Amino acid sequence: MTATRRLDPQPGEVIDRRQRLSFSWNARAYPAFAGDTIASALAASGETVFSRSMKYHRPRGLLTASHADPNCTVQVGDEPNVRAAHRLVEPGMDVRAQDAWPSLAFDVKAVTGLAGRFLPAGFYYKTFIRPRSLWPTYERVLRRFSHGGVVSPHRPGSEPQRYDKRHVHPDVLVAGGGPAGMAAAVAAARSGAQVLLVEEDHALGGHLRWGDPVELASLAELRDEVAATDGIEVLTDSVALGCYDHLEVAVLQRGLAHVHERLVKARARALVVAPGLIERPYVFAGNDVPGVLLSSAVRRLVNLYAVRPGDRAVVLTANPQGDAAVADLERAGVEVVHVVDARRGGDVVRAVGRSRVRAVELADGRRIDCDLLLTAVGWTTPATLFTTAGGSLGYDRRTARFWPDAPRLPDGVFAAGGVVGDGTLEQLVEHAGVVGRAAARRAGAGSGDPPVVPELPRNPHPELFRGRTHGIVDFSEDVSSRDLVTAVQEGYSSAELAKRYTTATMGPTQGKVESVNVLAVLAEAIGRTIPEVGTTTWRPPYAPVTLGALAGPHRDPVRRSPLQPWHERNGAVPLVAGAWIRPDHYGDPVAEARTVREAVGIIDVTPIGKLDLRGPDVPKLLNLLYVNRWSRLAVGRVRYGVMCAEDGVVLDDGVTGRLGEEHYLTSTTSGGAASVWEWAESWLQTEHPDWRVHVTPVTTAYASISVAGPRSRELIARVVDDVDVSADAFPYMHVRTGGIAGVAGCVLWRIGFTGELGYELHVPAGHGLHVWERLLARGQDLGVRAVGIEAQRVLRLEKGHLIVGQDTDGLTQAHDVGLEGLVRLDKDDFAGRPELVWRAQAADERRLVGLWPRDEATVPAEGSQLVDAAGRLCGRITSSRWSPTLRRSICLGQVAASLAQSGTEVRVRLPEGGFAAAVVTEHLAAVDPEGVRVRA
Amino acid sequence: MILIPCPWCGPRDAGEFGYGGEIVPRPDPRTATPERWRDYLYLRANVAGWQTERWYHRMGCRRLLTVRRNTVTGEVRPAAEAVER
Amino acid sequence: MPVARSPIAIAPPEAVVGGWAVSARRSSADLVLVDCSAMTTVALRARDSGEVARALGVTMGRAARQRWGDGSVPVLVVGSGPDEWRALGPPGTLDLVVAHLTSVAADAAGDDLVSVVDLTHGTALVRLTGERSADLLAHETAVDLSDRAHPDGAALRTAVSGLAADVVRDDQGGVCSYLLGCERSSGQYLFDSLLDAGGPLGVDVDGFASDDEEPAHVR
Repeated sequence: MTATRRLDPQPGEVIDRRQRLSFSWNARAYPAFAGDTIASALAASGETVFSRSMKYHRPRGLLTASHADPNCTVQVGDEPNVRAAHRLVEPGMDVRAQDAWPSLAFDVKAVTGLAGRFLPAGFYYKTFIRPRSLWPTYERVLRRFSHGGVVSPHRPGSEPQRYDKRHVHPDVLVAGGGPAGMAAAVAAARSGAQVLLVEEDHALGGHLRWGDPVELASLAELRDEVAATDGIEVLTDSVALGCYDHLEVAVLQRGLAHVHERLVKARARALVVAPGLIERPYVFAGNDVPGVLLSSAVRRLVNLYAVRPGDRAVVLTANPQGDAAVADLERAGVEVVHVVDARRGGDVVRAVGRSRVRAVELADGRRIDCDLLLTAVGWTTPATLFTTAGGSLGYDRRTARFWPDAPRLPDGVFAAGGVVGDGTLEQLVEHAGVVGRAAARRAGAGSGDPPVVPELPRNPHPELFRGRTHGIVDFSEDVSSRDLVTAVQEGYSSAELAKRYTTATMGPTQGKVESVNVLAVLAEAIGRTIPEVGTTTWRPPYAPVTLGALAGPHRDPVRRSPLQPWHERNGAVPLVAGAWIRPDHYGDPVAEARTVREAVGIIDVTPIGKLDLRGPDVPKLLNLLYVNRWSRLAVGRVRYGVMCAEDGVVLDDGVTGRLGEEHYLTSTTSGGAASVWEWAESWLQTEHPDWRVHVTPVTTAYASISVAGPRSRELIARVVDDVDVSADAFPYMHVRTGGIAGVAGCVLWRIGFTGELGYELHVPAGHGLHVWERLLARGQDLGVRAVGIEAQRVLRLEKGHLIVGQDTDGLTQAHDVGLEGLVRLDKDDFAGRPELVWRAQAADERRLVGLWPRDEATVPAEGSQLVDAAGRLCGRITSSRWSPTLRRSICLGQVAASLAQSGTEVRVRLPEGGFAAAVVTEHLAAVDPEGVRVRA
Repeated sequence: MILIPCPWCGPRDAGEFGYGGEIVPRPDPRTATPERWRDYLYLRANVAGWQTERWYHRMGCRRLLTVRRNTVTGEVRPAAEAVER
Repeated sequence: MPVARSPIAIAPPEAVVGGWAVSARRSSADLVLVDCSAMTTVALRARDSGEVARALGVTMGRAARQRWGDGSVPVLVVGSGPDEWRALGPPGTLDLVVAHLTSVAADAAGDDLVSVVDLTHGTALVRLTGERSADLLAHETAVDLSDRAHPDGAALRTAVSGLAADVVRDDQGGVCSYLLGCERSSGQYLFDSLLDAGGPLGVDVDGFASDDEEPAHVR
């Protein structure tokens, strides 16, 4: 560490000299003041090399000393890719250089610089290809050379970083907090608009902050106005990432206390784009040597951070900002050895030095010793917000920059400041005020005719892109002008192709600093003008954004049954089914299944979809949605139905019961609860708005409990209050309403998908847990136990009950699964009818059958393919389990119709390798195919 | 996200809706030929330009609504005729 | 009848109101969240030709506090959607609310179909009260909840934390307050999301108090 380069206090400095901090850079301690950025603090200590370039590992120093500086990306603690010229120093910060090995000073990988002529643009496409067997080796080597920081894996127990999102609805969003942005915000707010003012830097002010005393005075005035005007919310250290449809602007906010990064989603009624201009580097030999800086970088260092960036300076200037930088240098005690005025034909051809500028060679042949070279050759318009909002820009030779195509700015988008004109500070501020009022008017605030926005003058500027020698064009991707020329020679002669081939503008700066130089060099190489070359497409995000900010806080919707607390207390293994958490089993699914076959089990089936249907036209709706007939379902009766989509494919199945004259309850599969409701509503709202039906989802209004097993009637009888559940009074496929365990308003139906005598109880959800616990208490001597979803699956499979979505797929029609007997083609129009009619006339292609593997112990994985004797694929296993009742494996599968006869043998191709033989069974049901037990 | 102008709830983020796609009139199921029916099931015009389409306000009023959307510019307008009665 | 339970875990101590187990916790925080799932919720559907809205006194997108029964039962009537209303009453007032809705609608709807469905057990209700309520909700929902877009007495349904939820602005004693309702099984998740979003704002859990008493959680 060399002696300090800190100057005496400067009028506009942002550092607080009363607060001294200490931080480390590459494991050595450095001092700083509060308000220093990492880069300014290091520069104050005399550091000049901050990184190594990506391809050639050349030492790099500050270039722009701003948010967009490509040369000072560092690792801060566990956070990679931090922009050191923007991030403020915090006490104890651990900052390290990225990607330099073994150290920044001596980087072995710089050998690639020596091999430079063998590593031209596009070398990635030409090298490391053959032999393929060496790819793992190439990968290990290349990873060493690849660019970027380090992220350590999450340490268990450590607090994860917090990210969140915020939605705002400003009338006017002003992107850019320089003088134009501030003036526009104030004017809009004074017109009555709610304004959101977004500024990338840590404070408002833009270029005024490093200006002369007059500019500093204007800065104070404008800041006071912003603070004093109601209706302006200011976000600093925040950047607009892009403008999306209907003026939705994404803003990335940092610097918050509790949150690492916040994505602010702003839906604005008017957008004012006031980002200011970004200074452009000059392309010449040695332009990337540390000590070659842009004029604005030096003005920042001197005026904001009181840092003397060198001792002997040469300045190449083509505009007033460059001239002002000369004055700042002299005030800072830097010897300005020579000023090269490009407006009078002066030019620089080479910066000499490797880790520091030592001398500058001029066009006239002179060589001047120095340790600092400033360039001020032009300004670039940041295009992202314009183009993502739908606008476009055009190039003008006279002014050497791109301008927004004003007449074609999209509705609601306005522009202010340097991007739309030059002029005095007063002119720009006044112009911005009119823009602010116009934006407010557009947003519906203020009154009267919208103000007419005046034109600003546009000052001429010499076109200075590349000098007489070749140099670096894209600093962060290490692309030189020679690389671009080579690309053109190889045939990549459009902006889009040359960009992709050389990767120019594809690095972290994303074109902010280098895009116009890229176009200029390409134009020169192709022999066309800049407008003829065209531009590349600007895409969001404008600034780097973490994936965490895009994802937001951890929000994983979870749906819970009222019985969930009991499941958790009793050792249920959770099964995630969609958003539901269900009990897969309680430790012994085989025992649970046996309990249902031999005694009585209770199962939490709350996720089953339930729809409350009311009105005189309910039978019409049921006839429309189901394939079977529903006109004459008596009160108290339950019927099973299958729904098909308009293409005849099985959509859902369930039972519907009639609770009253005009009151029905329909059940659906749990996965189909939402979609069947939507399906019913779409029919009622589009094709049959005249039908008098109301459909209300009540899926979670009831806790649903399946009580199944030979002793289920005994158990039910012990808990119902006022329902006669004797065999004669409550037959199979009937429904009753009444009280259970003191709870009124329950629905009981007697159905059975497990194949045993069984009931389904629907209890108002707030009382579900009470009824569940009562069943367990009253059924102790009957052998009752809780049964999980896995056991239920096995029981259903033993009975051959298909599961829609498991045993059926997107092509399965009713006929394929043996349900053609249910289909009533003589009904009026119903969903799926035309396809089912045509299908009835056609031959079967596939069928759902039962399959028993010859080896009783082999349980093929669901989804295993079936092959016929000739080895051709002929179907697949859709459901497969080991049956505790039969003590053997049982399956359902879809097979080609020609193989669907009972007794046919097929081979199952097992995923783990090998084959297993399986035989088609006569029935889908393996247990009690006649269905005797359920009707007990 | 684009804003969908729901006739009942006002303009809302498209994320609140389910997309129903281009509206294709349903042929008479009693007289339609298989070709005509399958056109209705599977074929869409997919224009570059103004399209009449259906959205379902899943997270809001749960109504089906019709809008005109320009598939090239992203502009969205309410449809002249509403879906509901 | 046994005591009914909310889908949201009860912050101790527990009490019973209108047949429902509720939290009796007292918080003095400026921003509080209260589980109000014990409230009676009944949905009314009827074609909105205007007559029903007139008879109920509420149009779509609005909510009004009324007194039913003999004038002593406070009910929040919400125009929750096209052809759809919800009446929110104190716990245990189901019969009264159903009776009132049925008679009002039957008179006004004429021959049109009217259905009255009890959704008390199917709805999770959460009340968020405090000056910074809208700031908290700005993290969880994309709709504009500013005073000019959604003033006291406004009702809408939108996505909150990814769930379809009714959001009713129902200020309590001059303090900004929202009643949020979603389908029951997502109630605990909604509660947890709001607590998480409000952590940096200092949100705390308060216990349920009947609308009739001076709400203890309003300061």
